[in-house]
Amino acid sequence: MSPFTGLKNALAAWRARKHQVPFTVLFKKFKSILERNNLVLELMADMGDKLGGEYVFDQQYILDSCDRLLDQVFKLVSDLAVLRQRKNVDLFLAGERIQHQIREELAGRRAPGRTGPILPLAGLANDLGDECGNKMANLGDIRNILGMPTPEGFVITTGAYLAAVERGALRQRISQALSGLRLGDEAGLREVSARLRQEILGLALPRVLARAIAAAARDLAERAGPLLAVRSSAWDEDTLSSFAGMYETRLGVRPEGPGGVVDAYREVLASLFSEDALRYRLYRGLEGDEPAMAVGVVGLVDARASGALYTYAPLHDHDQAMVVSAAWGLGKPVVDGTAETDTIVLHRNPPHAVLSREICPKPQRMVADPAGGVLLEDTPPELRDAPCLTPAQLSELAEAALTLERFFRRPLDVEWAYDHDGKLVILQARPLRITPRDPQACADPSLAAKDARVLLSGSGAAAMGGVAAGPVYKARPGADLDDFPYGAILVAAHSSPRYAKVMPRCRGIITDVGSATGHMATIARELRVPTLVGVDGAFRTLRPGQEITLDADRKVVYAGALAELCRSDLAKEDVFEESREYRLLKRVLKRITPLTLVDPNSPDFTPARCATCHDIARYVHQKAVEELITLSATHLERHEGAPRRLSSSLPLGLTLIDVDRGLADTATGEEVRQEDLRCVPLLAIMEGLARAGMWEIDPARVDLKSFMSSMTRTFGADQAHPERMGRNLAVVSREYLNLHLRLGYHFTVVDAYIGDSLNDNAIFFRFMGGVTELVRRSRRAVLIAAVLERFDFRVQVKGDMVTGRAKKHPSAAMLDKLRMLGGLIGYTRQLDARLDDDASVQRHLDEFLSTFSAPKEAAP
Amino acid sequence: MSDRRTSILVLDDEPIVCKRLRPFFSKAGYEVETFGSADEALARVRERAFDVVITDLKMQDMDGLAFLTKVKEIHPDTGVIVITGFATLETARESFRQGVFDFVAKPFKLADILDSVRRVEKEKGLGA
Repeated sequence: MSPFTGLKNALAAWRARKHQVPFTVLFKKFKSILERNNLVLELMADMGDKLGGEYVFDQQYILDSCDRLLDQVFKLVSDLAVLRQRKNVDLFLAGERIQHQIREELAGRRAPGRTGPILPLAGLANDLGDECGNKMANLGDIRNILGMPTPEGFVITTGAYLAAVERGALRQRISQALSGLRLGDEAGLREVSARLRQEILGLALPRVLARAIAAAARDLAERAGPLLAVRSSAWDEDTLSSFAGMYETRLGVRPEGPGGVVDAYREVLASLFSEDALRYRLYRGLEGDEPAMAVGVVGLVDARASGALYTYAPLHDHDQAMVVSAAWGLGKPVVDGTAETDTIVLHRNPPHAVLSREICPKPQRMVADPAGGVLLEDTPPELRDAPCLTPAQLSELAEAALTLERFFRRPLDVEWAYDHDGKLVILQARPLRITPRDPQACADPSLAAKDARVLLSGSGAAAMGGVAAGPVYKARPGADLDDFPYGAILVAAHSSPRYAKVMPRCRGIITDVGSATGHMATIARELRVPTLVGVDGAFRTLRPGQEITLDADRKVVYAGALAELCRSDLAKEDVFEESREYRLLKRVLKRITPLTLVDPNSPDFTPARCATCHDIARYVHQKAVEELITLSATHLERHEGAPRRLSSSLPLGLTLIDVDRGLADTATGEEVRQEDLRCVPLLAIMEGLARAGMWEIDPARVDLKSFMSSMTRTFGADQAHPERMGRNLAVVSREYLNLHLRLGYHFTVVDAYIGDSLNDNAIFFRFMGGVTELVRRSRRAVLIAAVLERFDFRVQVKGDMVTGRAKKHPSAAMLDKLRMLGGLIGYTRQLDARLDDDASVQRHLDEFLSTFSAPKEAAP
Repeated sequence: MSDRRTSILVLDDEPIVCKRLRPFFSKAGYEVETFGSADEALARVRERAFDVVITDLKMQDMDGLAFLTKVKEIHPDTGVIVITGFATLETARESFRQGVFDFVAKPFKLADILDSVRRVEKEKGLGA
């Protein structure tokens, strides 16, 4: 049955019975929404886990998971329709739209995200490869994640290209022409190439796009100088299918006028269909993938010297060498191989000793022509025979290149320039395919570590995989790390986000204590630093300055620097992150997991704004809770399930719906006293909330204000009796509790069953923060996750959402956990304003645990 | 204890599975060969014995069950591990009847498949 039929049936069902649906039926629907919502969150987390590198999954897994997820999402939408007895057309359409996007991705038709046609380089954050092409996305990472100097600039997205060729059905003609190509049919290839290039060169760009490009180019020229460079950045370019040199680059382009950026843009687009590129496309088996090109426009660096650096020298006899080629002026002749260059071979290990140096006479250099374009001119006599780079520059360049190599986890071909002020600028970094000279040497990576002494093995969790070698640096608690040497491996007793500041300089991280889901681990993954956390005795065992090799994938630390092992890691034939399946999963997850609908009080909290499956689940959950409160309040007859207000010393504003023996028989009327409560899980939570020190702490002033403002903002206009009904909801029976609490901006869900059968005992806890700045939010998530882990919860942290699950513990232990959760809810209520720094997380953790001690056996 | 390394043959028509398992097992010290087609894998099995065969059960245009039956005919000592996304009770029963050593459900963790291989080694007294 398609989701659509399901929805129709559901709608028909409620129409027939409108106003007659008993409360118990609606409550059942509500329960099913909660279960489905959890299932959706679990499926999303499960898919996200697969990107971690530990799993082997195939395309079938991606297809099946998407099917199951979309099925649940549509059932959620139809459940809500039944619960609210309203059609949800907008929500259904949002679901349809997201489903369509996911299906398109699965069918190999990439739909770049809905960004504008122009993105500034400074704003490129992770994962914009689809929108910006790999070359510019990489440059964005180099600048924005690694913080290295790159030219200023912006990207004209693939979406802009696709929109342009959509006009006049050119996109269709391109697709038809390409599908007719066959490897070996040179005449056909020439004809198609000429035709498509002509079409693109004659393409009338949408006026809005042309204007936007011109304005961005003008603005860039004002900041970066009058001459610009216009570079290709196509899909699949600079991956392992490099397309190196097949696409156009225009140097010395003026921002406007004939031959300006807009014209250069068309020329670069046209090169998407150059003969070489089409042939290479066939050769690499990419004929099924639609080509698209983003174009980078960057300031032309007025280079004194420039060139390329290979982080592994493929030709040299030395097995730990990198090679630099350098020339005066602009680097194009170096890359094209048309100029005499200095060639310097350096050792890969710090301090990067020079292994050989060949300084050539360089009679000419390429410079920007002030009138536009570039020209070759005679090199001034004093420079002709001089080396282009000083020893200091060489070692700066080598360090930068190896930092890039570690980040991209590949040997690289780095294009660089030094400007006239002696400042290094990274122009581009693309993967370098190296084939070992001696195939035997790399055939068996296990031999690389065969004779090495194992210092540590078997314990810990890989927060980020990979292999790294270097000297040990031991971080003392509270040390400022200013003396952290470039290229060392950081060893610490506890993981801490403050190590982020040395990550760009460090090769690997090992900690005794820490979680692979923690804040530091997240940053290490972002910067791709091989990191092993929770390694027993690492801090005690490893000595400062000792050379070690960390293999985070296999959780082993070896004595000595194992060059072979490091190289086999870099020379891996297939990097998981580059596999088709990985990229596909990552792309569909972009339509699934991000939560863009955060604040239910915002006017944007609407079905139309739902952009992902997560948004829909979040929206449905929020509306279901609101609906249940309204429903139960306005429902006709007074019955057992009628809502009561809990009067208690804690200002919870709690509305209770008793479905089965959750209240004393003697409790009558609209108000219920705490003594009337019979719901075992809720009583435990209340006890935790009331426990000394948890609630009585005065909220910090800032927080009190936001608490009060959220009090007034939380009441939706559609809620029946806001002044009578509390804003928080607990559905209770004797053994069961389903609690939805909004305190301040925090949103907590507890779903618990504590009964006679151990196997049925379960607690689900979910915490979502609200509108606090990101750093505090993630500190809070780290703290909550740490507490939950101490109490044996299975914990997942996604952004600022923390979920914990505990199952099948004896009832007494489950009640302990609930008391702790009560305490945690009270405690976090006033926490945000106090989490001023990372150290405070540990302090608050200790403080909390001193009141609620974790079970002894929970110590890891 | 022997110096000889345990040999593994992997058969799966999803290239990603072979791509990931080959370097992984090789790094862990095994001798690995991978195949995307049952015919080629079978030809190789006729040429030489493998200590462990890892095969998908249900592949496009080929039958993992038929393959593993042949493997056990030729080399009864080979430990066969089945990796599959669609194991039904029936196919599971049938493949255990054919002498399959272990089942690993797709998607699986690298550590799980390594555990499974180690159990074969332990049972057969292989490896260091």
